[in-house]
Formats: sequence, C-alpha cells, structure tokens
Amino acid sequence: MNDVKDFTTVRVTFSKQGRARYISHLDLNRTMIRALRRAELPIWYTEGFNKHPYVTFAAPLSLGFEGERETMDVRLNEQYDMDELVRRLDAVMPEGLQILSAAVAVKKAGDVDRAVYELTVGCAASDVDAFLAQPTVIVQKKTKKKTFKELDLAPFLSQANSTLREEAGQTVWQLTLPCNSTDSVNPSLVTEALCSFLKREELPCFVRRLAVLDKEGQPFA
Amino acid sequence: MAVTLEQLFDRVQKPARYTGGELNSVVKDKSKVNVRFAFCFPDLYEVGMSHLGMKILYGLKNAVDDFWCERVFAPDTDMEALMREHNVPLFALESRDPLRDFDFVGFTLQYEMCYTTVLNMLDLANIPLLAADRGDDMPLVVAGGPCACNPEPLADFFDIFLLGEGEELNLELMELYREHKKNGYNKAAFLRAAAEIEGVYVPSLYEVTYHEDGRVNAITPRDGVRPTVRKRIVKDLDTMYYPDSFVVPFIDIVHDRAMTEIFRGCIRGCRFCQAGFIYRPVREKSIDTIDKQSRALCESSGYEEFSLTSLSTSDYTKLEDLLTRLLDWAEEKKTNITVPSLRVDGFSEELANRLNVLRRSGLTFAPEAGTQRLRDAINKNLTEEEILDTATRAFRGGWTSVKLYFMTGLPTETLDDIAGIAALGQKIVNCYYYNPDKPKGKSVNVSISASCFVPKPFTPFQWEPQDTMAQLEEKQRHLVASVTTKKISLSWHDAKTSYLEAVLARGDRRLGKALLEAFRRGFKLDAWAEHFDFDGWMDIFRSVGLDPDFYACRRRDYDEVFPWDHLDYGVSKQFLIEENRRAHESVTTPNCRQQCSHCGATCFKGGLCVERR
Repeated sequence: MNDVKDFTTVRVTFSKQGRARYISHLDLNRTMIRALRRAELPIWYTEGFNKHPYVTFAAPLSLGFEGERETMDVRLNEQYDMDELVRRLDAVMPEGLQILSAAVAVKKAGDVDRAVYELTVGCAASDVDAFLAQPTVIVQKKTKKKTFKELDLAPFLSQANSTLREEAGQTVWQLTLPCNSTDSVNPSLVTEALCSFLKREELPCFVRRLAVLDKEGQPFA
Repeated sequence: MAVTLEQLFDRVQKPARYTGGELNSVVKDKSKVNVRFAFCFPDLYEVGMSHLGMKILYGLKNAVDDFWCERVFAPDTDMEALMREHNVPLFALESRDPLRDFDFVGFTLQYEMCYTTVLNMLDLANIPLLAADRGDDMPLVVAGGPCACNPEPLADFFDIFLLGEGEELNLELMELYREHKKNGYNKAAFLRAAAEIEGVYVPSLYEVTYHEDGRVNAITPRDGVRPTVRKRIVKDLDTMYYPDSFVVPFIDIVHDRAMTEIFRGCIRGCRFCQAGFIYRPVREKSIDTIDKQSRALCESSGYEEFSLTSLSTSDYTKLEDLLTRLLDWAEEKKTNITVPSLRVDGFSEELANRLNVLRRSGLTFAPEAGTQRLRDAINKNLTEEEILDTATRAFRGGWTSVKLYFMTGLPTETLDDIAGIAALGQKIVNCYYYNPDKPKGKSVNVSISASCFVPKPFTPFQWEPQDTMAQLEEKQRHLVASVTTKKISLSWHDAKTSYLEAVLARGDRRLGKALLEAFRRGFKLDAWAEHFDFDGWMDIFRSVGLDPDFYACRRRDYDEVFPWDHLDYGVSKQFLIEENRRAHESVTTPNCRQQCSHCGATCFKGGLCVERR
C-alpha cells in the first residue's frame, strides 16, 4: 500500500427543512449513505470486513432544528464533476433535504467556530431584551459523562450579538453561538434559560440554523 | 387552539416514527382517489416497517390509480399520551388524515399478542370497537395475516377477515367496494356481497353455538353464505406483483434492508409449525425473477443489504445457482446478501465464505428437541450427526461459538428429552476440544435458547394440551440441573407470555369480552415485556368468567368441533389427525419433495403439488 490518499474529500452543502428536521444526526448519516448509493456516485468505501461509504458532518445539527446551509463531507475515489454530483444527489433526496452545492473540501472540520441561528420564540421582543440584560445566565449543561455542569451563557448573549424583530406575535431572534472544540452552546440551552427567566411552563420555539462559520466569520464550506 | 402535529412531534422520542415523508412513500391527490385503505400494523413503527407483507400490499394497492393505501402504526406510550391529552385521533402517515376518513381500516395480525393493540388503535382513531356498532358512515375494519386462520377471539370487532395470501384478494375486495360506493354504499349489502369472494370471511354471517362445557357445538352460516371459507393463494410467484421499491425509513428499524421473497410454503411439515401448514403448497420464484426484483429494490432504496426470505432458505431447489448469480453483482455494488435460516451442511465452502455466513450470524441450529426420538415425533429432520459435523467444520475454521434453539413442552416430551438438550450441548463442546487445531487460550461457548411450545390451529398438534406453567418450570429446572459445564449458557422465554398466546391462538368468540376488558384496563403492546401484565390478564379472565386453562391446557378429542372448523386452509383435518397419531408413535413423515403425503393442499392446484403430477 502506498501512502497517497486514494480518495478526494468533497464537501456537500445542503438544507434540511420541513419534516426532515425530525431526522436525527445518526439517522441522517444513514439516509445520506443510501442516497449516495442511489445516485450511483463513485464513492470511496472503507476497507475491512464491513465496507461502507465514509460520510462525516463537521457540525451536527440537533433533532428538530432546520438547517439552511449544512455541510457533509463525502469521499470519492475518482474525479467527478461537482455540478453533476449536485444534480444526481439532489434527484434522489427524500422530502426536506436539498443539495445546494459541492466542492472539494479545503477547510478542515476543526475550522468550524460558530453558528448563526434564528430562533422563533413565543414571547415579546422586550422579554428577550430583558433576558439579554442579565449579568449572568446560569444553565446546567449536560456533559459527555451524562452529568451536569454549570455554564454561564451571558458571555455569548450580548445584545450586540443578537438582532430581534417581532412577527405575528412571536419574536424572531437571530444570534450567533459558539460551536468549536473549546466552547459549544446549543440554542436549546438558551431557550430553556429564557423559558425559566420568563417563569413559563413552556415556551414555543422553533430553531433554524442559518450558517456555520469559521474563525474569520466566513461560511464553512 | 388545536395543537398541531408538529407540536407533538417536538415533544416525543423518535418523532420520525410519526412524520411520514420517507423516501418512496406514496402521496396521492385525494380528490382523484376512490378507495382509501389505512394499512395498520398493531405494533411500533420499528416492528411494523420491518414486515414484508405490508410492503407488498402497500405497493400493490398504490399501483392502482384510484386506490390509495397509507401506513399506520401503534404510537409509543409518550405519543399516545399526548394524542389523548390533545384529542388528536390516530392518523395515517402519508396524508395525516384521521382513520375515520378512510374506506378501509385494515390490520395485519402477525401474532396473538397484538390483539389488545388492535383495539387500542381503533379507540385512538375514535372508531367504535364492536363491528355491530359501526354503521354505513364508518370505515370497514378488516384483517389478514397468519392469525386470521383462527380470528375468532376478534370476531366481534372485525367486519371482514381475509384468509390466505392478500395479493389478489385485497384488490378484489377493494374493486367490489368501489362498485358499491358508486351505486350507493350500504354496509350490510356490501358484506353479503363480499362473502361471495373466495377467501373473504364475514364473521357476523356465521353463528356459533356452544356446549355447556364451553366446547363449540356448531358453526352455522346465515343468509345463505358458504359453510366454509377457503384461503386464497397466488399460484405463480413469477407473474405475481412484487414491489420494485420499499419505503426507506429514517430511523433504525428491526430489519432495515431490502427483502426478496424466494418461495412460499415449506416442504418440511414440522408438526409444531403453523406456517409449515397454512402456507402450503410450496411455490418457488425463478432465479431470473429473484435476480431482477433484488436489483430493482437495491437500486431504488440504496440499501446496502438485502435478504432472501422464505420459511427455509436451504430448501430452495437451486440455491447455489441463485446465490452465485446474485453475488456476481452484489459484490461489485458492495451490497451484502443475508440468507436467514440457512443450513450450512452440504454448502460449498467457497460460497459460504463469499456470503460470510458464519461471520454474520454465527453458527446457529434449531434442533428444537434434545433427542432423536422427540425430533422424530415433531418431524424435525435434523440429525445429531449433521449438527456435530457442521460444528466440527466451523470449529476447524476458527469459530468458537454455536447457538442452539430448542422448544420445551413439546407433545410426548419427557425429562429425558430435556436432559438430551444439555447432552447435545455437551457433545458440541466436546467437538471443540477434539479439534487438534483449536485456537490457543480460547474457550468455546454453546448458547442454548429454549422457548415454550404453543399449540396452534391447523397443525397436527392442534389437539394437544400446552404444558402447565408448573410443568414448564419443572422442565426448566431440570434443564438447568442437566447442564454441568460453564461452556454452555442457557436462556429461555417467559412461559407466561406463551401461555396467553396459547389461550388466544385456539380461542373462540367468547374471548372477545376478555379482550374488551383488557382494552378497558389499558392493556396494549403485550408483546413488549415492559407492558405485559400476566396477573392482570388472569384477573381479567376471572372477571369475565372464562377459564384460560380450558383453551391452553386441555386435550381435545379428534371429533371436537374447533372454533376455526369453518375455515379451510387446504390441509385436511383427517391428514392432521393422521400426523398427530404418527407423532405419538415417533414416526416421521417424508417432506413434500420426497413424497406426497396427501395433506389436501392439492386443492389449490399450484406449486409443487402440480409440478409433481
């Protein structure tokens, strides 16, 4: 075996909307592998007993969230026209998943730094303003070991970081949250904190991820 | 304000069970559809979506322009609680319309333990449970599947049972309905007309009387309907409809792969096995058809694996040819083939390696009984020699574990037969140590799994009592005591579930009130250990005045009228009596390919029965 990689990593940008937001991350992985097979693309398979296509997602999206510009990396074992790839793959996607573009991956998964979210919450903009004005916002964050640790969200929730507008009795709140190896904040932590700040039993909210950015604030693509 | 389905989805586990929208699911324009069928599987999505029959009938009905078939599964408890709290009726996945909007609500009855779930689903759909309470404005509630061969415990709840294979029968029923709808639908008139279709059983058109002791006295047809209803089969599997695409689920389901049926029926005639009798005669699909169908399914689904399904794969006449043909393209497309219930003996080493047979499932055998005497009594033709030879071969290939499946409580079984289970396990352990090339420092593991025998209708054991739970427990203790090595690990099924299964399997219409009471007490998903409440069931039987032992543990006389005697599955009662006698003499019966035993299935004029003549 030589050391030269026998595959090209291609970064595919797609949207995940409507019913597709209920596809969990693990299930999306399987869904994409099957789509790649249906599209009959020259996919690279892992070696070993259980050969399978290699698909990774630099920034997994939580179950229930929509994503405007999500990415996945796939490996191809030959040169392939990117427009053709987009066309073929999009044609075999289930409802709610749309392939937008594809390019040979340049940035590394570790370059992902933050993400822009649009939260649609069932309260007034002034409620969110009051929430943002707090000096500290302490939440319990689940760790990988299934224990909880305290986290202060305030540093990530400056008013400068948020834009708010009211729409049909709800507040559309755009904010940027970190998702890198040092810091990572899931927007559901924010909405849960807002819910308890407002002393509500439940707060209707809908989350859409608009973009995933690198350290320079450029789209991760 | 009414809650939206999305608001429920946001609050439950695995919402993709309820969202629909999977690849290849069929959505039609309601305004252009004449007959709507809600195909209900009375279990969770993961179980129901694994079922091949549903995939076939879903595709078959949707291939007709003005029919629309949709899928419905039992919601899990979290979803059910929200649906009940917010008054959301049970809906079909494709249109999200409530079941009451459908023309047919059809259940597949795959196992007895789903009966309470059926009732719970009807209730969730706001459909009256009793057929007599449903008028012209309600959907017709119908059912098929193996349990339809004795559907009597459910007779009060269903308008129609469909006996046998559904491909032709479902379409004929829906076509008749389309006609009636056009000319002004009336339920009673439709049911009477439907009863003329072969394979359609309308329970309300048969009256059952009982002896004082609870045995059936007579089953009398009303209104001039035929006295017996014969099941349907499809004669030619090569020209039969088979889907070229499957709905591909998002979530992981029990059997998440493409499936190609390679034959129907079974030549074996193991005397405990209901499937071996009710699916006769054996009909094979040709290699060309299997090849074509497998390719189409893999291409349209993207599945990385497909399985060949049948009751006993090794009995396919040209299995090696078939597998060679399939492997040629499957290997190239990196698609795995799984071959369940494959007997490795007599199988070429090369093919076994290409299929990775052992690597996938390990080495498994189903001797069912521990001694040759008892294996002869149940007509299971697997000899100790075959098992030991295959095990030795596998051990030489480096394998270190073997799984064995047995049943306890079989008719004529003694404690010696139970001890024989452990002895057979021990012999396999010995095989491992006789092997001079055994891997160093590795031990062998023989795992023995024992289930409890359940006597079923249309088998030679339909007259037999099930062992009492005390007897089964004694046998389990004896098995544990007979195992003297740690190389053998034991596991067994819960006798309580098998007991209830036995009650329902050979039950009569009087059990309807027990099912109704079970539903009222919130029973559902009884096949799931966390839901099954045995003591609760015993209390229900007491409260409705029925003795479950009467159904499960009583030996019947050959001349007793059974609750299912008006249903005809081709296999004659006389043949089954003869088979029962042979069982008690430990005499085997040759399989259908060796010699015709005149079971009665020739009446269908199909498959092996006519090929031989």
